[in-house]
Amino acid sequence: MREAPMTRRKFLKAAVQAGSVLALPVIVPAKVLGRDGAVPPSEKIVAGGIGLRGRGMGDLQWMMGNPDVQFVAICDIQKRQREAVKRFVDGQYGNQDCRMYADIRAFLAERTDIDAVLIATGDRWHALASIWAMRAGKDVYTEKPSSMTIAEGRAVVETARRYGRVYQTGTQRLSEANHVFCIEMARTGRLGKIHTAYAHIAPWDAAQMRHDWLPAAPEPPKDEVDWDAWLGPCPWRPYNPAYVSGGWRGHYDFHTSCIGEWGAHTFAQAQAGLDCGETSPVEYEYVANETGDGMVTHFASGVKMILSRGDKYWHGSCGERFDGTEGWAAAADGYSKPDVSSPALLGLYKKVIGDYVARTGRSLDHMRNFLDCVKSRQLTVANPLVMHHSMTTVHAANICMWLKRSLKFDPVKEEFIGDDEANRFRSRAMREPWTI
Amino acid sequence: MTRLKKDLKLILAAAILLPAAVAAADEAQLIAVLKSEASLKEKADACRELAHVATKNAVPALAAMLGDEKLSHMARYALEPIPDPSVDEALRDALGKVKGRPLVGVIGSLGVRRDAKAVPALAKLLADADADVAQAAARALGSIGTSDAAKALEGALPNAPDAHRVAFCEGLFRCAEALAAGGNAAKAQAVYDGLRALPQAPQQVRVGALRGAVLLRGKQGIPLLVEALRSADYVLFAAAARVSMEMPGAEVTAALAGELPKLPPDRQILVIKTLGHRGDASAGPALAPLAAQGPDAVRLAAIRNLTHLGYAPALPMLAELSLSGEGELASVARECLGGFPGQDADATIAAMLSHKDAKVRSLAVEMIGQRKAGKAAAHLLKAAADEEESVRLAALRALRDQAGQADLPALLAILVKARSAAEMQAAENALGALVARQSGPAQGQVVILKALYGDLPAGTSADVTAKVAAMVKDGSMAIEASNGNFGDPVPNIVKKLRVDYSVNGVVVSKTVAENESLALTAISTPPAIVEAICASMAGAPSEAKCALLRTLRSAGGPKALETVQAAMSESDARVKDAAMRALCDWPTPDALPAVGRLLGSPPNRTIKVLALRGFVRLVPQESAPDAKKLKSLQEAMSLADRDEEKRLVLSALGNIPTAEALALVVAQLDSATLREEACSAAVAIAEKIGAGHAPEVVAAMTRVAKTTADKKLAARAEAIARNAKK
Repeated sequence: MREAPMTRRKFLKAAVQAGSVLALPVIVPAKVLGRDGAVPPSEKIVAGGIGLRGRGMGDLQWMMGNPDVQFVAICDIQKRQREAVKRFVDGQYGNQDCRMYADIRAFLAERTDIDAVLIATGDRWHALASIWAMRAGKDVYTEKPSSMTIAEGRAVVETARRYGRVYQTGTQRLSEANHVFCIEMARTGRLGKIHTAYAHIAPWDAAQMRHDWLPAAPEPPKDEVDWDAWLGPCPWRPYNPAYVSGGWRGHYDFHTSCIGEWGAHTFAQAQAGLDCGETSPVEYEYVANETGDGMVTHFASGVKMILSRGDKYWHGSCGERFDGTEGWAAAADGYSKPDVSSPALLGLYKKVIGDYVARTGRSLDHMRNFLDCVKSRQLTVANPLVMHHSMTTVHAANICMWLKRSLKFDPVKEEFIGDDEANRFRSRAMREPWTI
Repeated sequence: MTRLKKDLKLILAAAILLPAAVAAADEAQLIAVLKSEASLKEKADACRELAHVATKNAVPALAAMLGDEKLSHMARYALEPIPDPSVDEALRDALGKVKGRPLVGVIGSLGVRRDAKAVPALAKLLADADADVAQAAARALGSIGTSDAAKALEGALPNAPDAHRVAFCEGLFRCAEALAAGGNAAKAQAVYDGLRALPQAPQQVRVGALRGAVLLRGKQGIPLLVEALRSADYVLFAAAARVSMEMPGAEVTAALAGELPKLPPDRQILVIKTLGHRGDASAGPALAPLAAQGPDAVRLAAIRNLTHLGYAPALPMLAELSLSGEGELASVARECLGGFPGQDADATIAAMLSHKDAKVRSLAVEMIGQRKAGKAAAHLLKAAADEEESVRLAALRALRDQAGQADLPALLAILVKARSAAEMQAAENALGALVARQSGPAQGQVVILKALYGDLPAGTSADVTAKVAAMVKDGSMAIEASNGNFGDPVPNIVKKLRVDYSVNGVVVSKTVAENESLALTAISTPPAIVEAICASMAGAPSEAKCALLRTLRSAGGPKALETVQAAMSESDARVKDAAMRALCDWPTPDALPAVGRLLGSPPNRTIKVLALRGFVRLVPQESAPDAKKLKSLQEAMSLADRDEEKRLVLSALGNIPTAEALALVVAQLDSATLREEACSAAVAIAEKIGAGHAPEVVAAMTRVAKTTADKKLAARAEAIARNAKK
């Protein structure tokens, strides 16, 4: 539960007091100081990780690939995993400096030297870990989805604002050139007046999720797997190793369904192009199937966003498409260039991307955008508000499917109109002590 | 099984499978589950469903579970959303009864429900020995957010253990936000100021306190902002920059800009970026000097953010920097100039076209090409008449992507008056691209079947199918036959590009010489464009006529064909030759009769070969009976005196699915130089006519299998023969 060597905390305290470890976010490019591009340790973003495996290890490599990042600690409830991360990090740096923690609260409280944390736990922990980290003064890069409920998403927004934290969700397609092109083509009117966007939802699983428990298995020692912490804010259930190895997907307590699995990416992409990044649909039309495929959502501006499960509008994963009066554009994973209604539109590719970069100053590398913002204190592309609104769309679409009826929503008050039962799904009581 | 158990199973089964169905479930039955000897799982499920449907009727049963370590959370799970004050009473009542983790949960739920009546009891818990309880109480008081709650927290904070400080500050932040939202700005401000004064506060508390204090004061908070910008504490400085992004208004811009010259370079960079992010162009005069001189990193930030601001007076400096060399400053300045927003930038760059220095004019052409603004083509056409050839060529290159139908007369005039071969070629390329764009088929209709680049038709060549397909996917409808695009598979000779493709399922084949453009058209070009090109033939110099004829070949259509045929009677040998070549390479079979006539009396051997190839290429495209096509190809075979053309005829015969065609092909199986092409064609025909001509097919395939050196082809032939025998 606690950090590995007993003396580390004392060591860190002493180091901080001596000023040798404390690394405030420093913005000085090395060139200014005449160091020819080399980044001395004192100017690096000091980073730590929480719950890294699979996708998280990919994020870790991505983050460590930036020379201005120094990754110093891993926190994980699973011993084997925190040791794996330590081995990787130490191997990259050629030292033994990566510290291990089992308890997130101890990790955040003690490591005041850490500027930014990378969070890639299971979905149930993303919002809470982000909130706790930001409250502890860290900037946060967290995997998607950014929340499990509308209330959690709102709390992320409030915490980031409260403490002036930089936050980015790992919805990396918001920074990828093909998606940026489609979004900007739609946003800038080059496709005419946009009337419809399509957003991809995962082609497996259903909107309805499981409520059963897997068979109880003997709980491992807490140091091996801290099951209580693994569950975190979710309702208790008996241990089964399948959960810990990724089998939590599809369970209501831990997942956001086939809609959230990809909608956590694609709704943000579609809403960005519709210029609806800071609002949510006002109406959700129930579709009588198991998945939400074909659900039409309406924004107050009159534009529609339609959930689509198949390959009708793209040929790859996590796609979005914008239909306007003068053309359409679509992108998905694996595209060399976006699909467009007329090849002539692609003649604008470089200009559209160039204009986006000039307008926003944002990198087309999602991780780099986060790291740049850690230094500049600006808003990231997948900032808390943008992610809260697109995830609100995910949650509302799920609730629509669970209740099997169409819903109207007030995105300002963040409440369903005239539907008390739907409103009760906006939050879930968090299990103590894993609360906000 | 008891009745209750049975009902329970049914209710929970419905809940698990169809969550929406529980809206109709009987609340009383779910409550009964809670009171029964049901399992933990069953009670947890009942709580989950009650969360969505319960009324005050469920509160007593749920409240009774609050002290149960295993069920306390699920009880709160059901209680929190019930919109009835009896829930608050139950939770308050539990404060004095439950302990440990359940108590932490109950405290949290009171915070979620913002129960102001719980403030006194929660205030007492701030001093609880259990750290989790004390911290939960602080956060809950913050969520409740009344003046009393704030007062309790303010009173407890000075003596709170270090471990509690962040939670207590969190409570105070929440209070301040609630008080401000409720109209009590004075109290909220006092809370923020108290947090600002907190000794040795964690950095995030210093950031949050400054943010709240500044934002709540509005314009009156600007001095605080400036104070933080000047602070030796980097945390406060960065926080000030961050909070300024939440404050619109020229006064804040002025405050930031005013501090800029006094800051060290690292802080300058952050403030420059902040000013760029704010988007207030009044910051431009403060940024401009920093773009002009100083450390490179500061200059780069200033250049980029002047661009964000669209600060037009910076444009001349950007132009100057763009021409200053090849370093990062120059390259970023070019990038910014190309993307600089606004019509002022368009006008400034257009004005650069009149600059005395040709380098400046070339830069302007490049920028106009990048910016693709409304009048770009007009400016580029003007530049295409520049006195300096490098500027003219740059403009024509840019026009390839920009010129529209309205620019056609001007472009034709440029071509007709071209002053050099390079200019002629550039103008022809721009014209070809214009034609292709105007007649370009709709997306998805073009499919690249085969593309070869090299010593065509029979020499060494590279298969560039994938490359051409990628270019089409990227939006190119005019493919330039160049080593730049395809590498150099056969050095030191003039190569050709041949592309077989289909448009709406109609197969088209085109070939162009190196450095020419191949337009992927099969849909008719707008008549007005063809008319204009044809009209400009009159009086044009010979080289221009040649270029126009090649363009007409790309455009296609009856009027273009008529003009090309007429040009075959011109007196100038170069024009005649170009016209005949254009005819031989005509993309559609309407040229077939004329090509046939030319083939009958070619002026020279080269034209004969070209006509023969064109003829053989067009015959399969013709809408005619197979017998007629076969007859045409038989004639072509009789006229072919080289193996290269005979191979083409054999290949074309492979598309004629008749026994006669098979016989013609089989006759070539004994030729040492043609046998492989004959084998391929024979297999292609036999696969189509199959068992309907079994004796001929079996005989032919048996011979093919013994003749070909291609094992796969031999296997196919044997399989066809076997099937034909069945």
